Amino acid sequence: MAETLISALVAGLLVGGLYAVVAIGLSLIFGIIRVINFAHGSFLMASMYAGFWLWHLWGIDPYLSIIIVVPLAFLGGYGVQHFLIRPMFQRERTYVVEPLGVLLLMAGLDMVMANGALLFFKSDFRAVTVLYGSAAIRLGFLTIPITRLVLLVISVFLAFGLSWLLSRTELGNGIRAVGQNREAAALCGLNVYHIFALTFGLGCAVTAFGGCAMLPFYFVDPSMGLPLAIKSFIIVVLGGLGSIPGALLAGLMIGVVESVGGQFVTATSASIFSLIIFLFIVFFRPKGLMGVLEA
Amino acid sequence: MKQRSISFNWMAVAFVLAIAMIIPFVLEKHPYYVHIFILVFLFGYLSTAWGLVGQSGQLSFGHAVFVGLGGYTSTILFMDYGVTPWVGMFAGAIVATLFGLIIGYPTLRLRGPYFALSTLVFGLILQTYVVNTQMLGPINLRGAMGLLLPLKNGGDAPAVFQFATKTPYYFIALAMMVSVVLLSYLLNRTRIGSYWTAIRSDQEAAESLGINAGRYRLLAFLLSCALTALGGTLWAQYFHYINAERGMALSLSIEIVLVGVVGGWQTVSGPMIGAMIIIPISELLRAQLGGGFAGLHTLIYGLILMGVILWLPKGLNPLVMRGLKWLGDRLWSTSPSVRTPEDSGR
Repeated sequence: MAETLISALVAGLLVGGLYAVVAIGLSLIFGIIRVINFAHGSFLMASMYAGFWLWHLWGIDPYLSIIIVVPLAFLGGYGVQHFLIRPMFQRERTYVVEPLGVLLLMAGLDMVMANGALLFFKSDFRAVTVLYGSAAIRLGFLTIPITRLVLLVISVFLAFGLSWLLSRTELGNGIRAVGQNREAAALCGLNVYHIFALTFGLGCAVTAFGGCAMLPFYFVDPSMGLPLAIKSFIIVVLGGLGSIPGALLAGLMIGVVESVGGQFVTATSASIFSLIIFLFIVFFRPKGLMGVLEA
Repeated sequence: MKQRSISFNWMAVAFVLAIAMIIPFVLEKHPYYVHIFILVFLFGYLSTAWGLVGQSGQLSFGHAVFVGLGGYTSTILFMDYGVTPWVGMFAGAIVATLFGLIIGYPTLRLRGPYFALSTLVFGLILQTYVVNTQMLGPINLRGAMGLLLPLKNGGDAPAVFQFATKTPYYFIALAMMVSVVLLSYLLNRTRIGSYWTAIRSDQEAAESLGINAGRYRLLAFLLSCALTALGGTLWAQYFHYINAERGMALSLSIEIVLVGVVGGWQTVSGPMIGAMIIIPISELLRAQLGGGFAGLHTLIYGLILMGVILWLPKGLNPLVMRGLKWLGDRLWSTSPSVRTPEDSGR
């Protein structure tokens, strides 16, 4: 029993690493710019497709494709914020404040991206097969797939890197200032929309980084986006809006809860459980676990 | 909509309704087109009911659940307990209101996107539960199979909400849509409607005047839940089938939102107009393209949604109203004064 539990715990941490890496990117976008990025999962899907085609057409290793895909994702994110969301924000000044409009816009973008992928790439599940794909470390009764372990390590590094960036650099100060009070930041001479776009690009870049690292063991398909996006929302709210370490912690927690819970109840009940956690957090502690911003 | 326009607008409404009355008889030989009209009315109804939440300044992303709750309640009451759906639909409305209270009471006090996200998550919870549950205590939910409505007298039994042809469904759906639009219109002219407008435009200002924003939002949401559940019963009776995989799905919630937003959410007639535009497009695209271009019609949906949000934040409603106004002024060119098109936008 103990062995099963420990294996479940380890498996949960590994899955949690995957959740965390997707949620960290969203945490920047959702926590700082306050954009309910419905299309976040589709950004992940797009970057994974990019990685897949780089491998499929030119045999570029998924880990190597990070160098190409991540800058592209940054540009894509910058563009989405600059060309789609910024006009909405600028309109907000004159009209009523309506963050729900941006939410709907992103829902539309998600439909476009997911169905565009369906139209062009068909609904087939695509997978990258690499030599080290099945390599694993054996520790007694535990079997830890190396690719998943790498992703967990990456998610921890990304979380700490981003936290460092946010708290120790000029850009990070700007991002946090804009997240706290848009008008005050603008009065201090910050170019608010440029920082928003940088933040959005950064969030997408982080997600794409994780996406490429997921490729060796995770299938890509057009409809993968929305479920992962919803899971990320849960994680970001659980961890606390705007808190990167919170997102990492919450991601690992959700992974462990689902995996360990799955040992006792059915997998569907376990996934319902993580949804119920979300409702509880919203009802009783909207600040989240490590919330830095008031709800 | 004041003075002269009132009589003119009501005349226009009466005219459109008169046409709607004869459509099923004209199209008697083409049940497929009658079917599209029924879908338009059904979605017009659902989105108008959904729009009540929007009028109080919030966005629900889980309305499919209330469609499902309504349909499930009335159908299970009919299948296993012999209650006619005419009564069951109101039981469904009560069940939906109770569930609405559970989700609405804690979240509608919060600002920001929490309500939208909570309704979405709540929908997923209930859907996942129903899909994976055979029995809930003594209630037979039948899991992923869904509920197949048992036909009485070969489906020709008005006493239990079953009809042999599409025409009765057509009129019921039409009546339901017209009633809910009328209800929304009348509510807008009462004090409650003014409170909703105030809360939506500036919550802080509204609260400083003593309006309890949370309470009036909850009222809008619960009313919307109950009405949506009635639509769920119509859904189950018309399709003779309801399942959680479709009837409680996020995709259905999004479809309801899409119809409402494209027409103009936060307006009375917007969702109805949205249904008249979106539903035929989707049906015809689906029929024409079929499986060859999987995803194309949803892709077009997404583009329409983005375009409307970016360029027509009030939806197509004001545009259509302006067009109708122009047409009306042409036909009744004797009219002395012309109201600004913005007036009829609400």
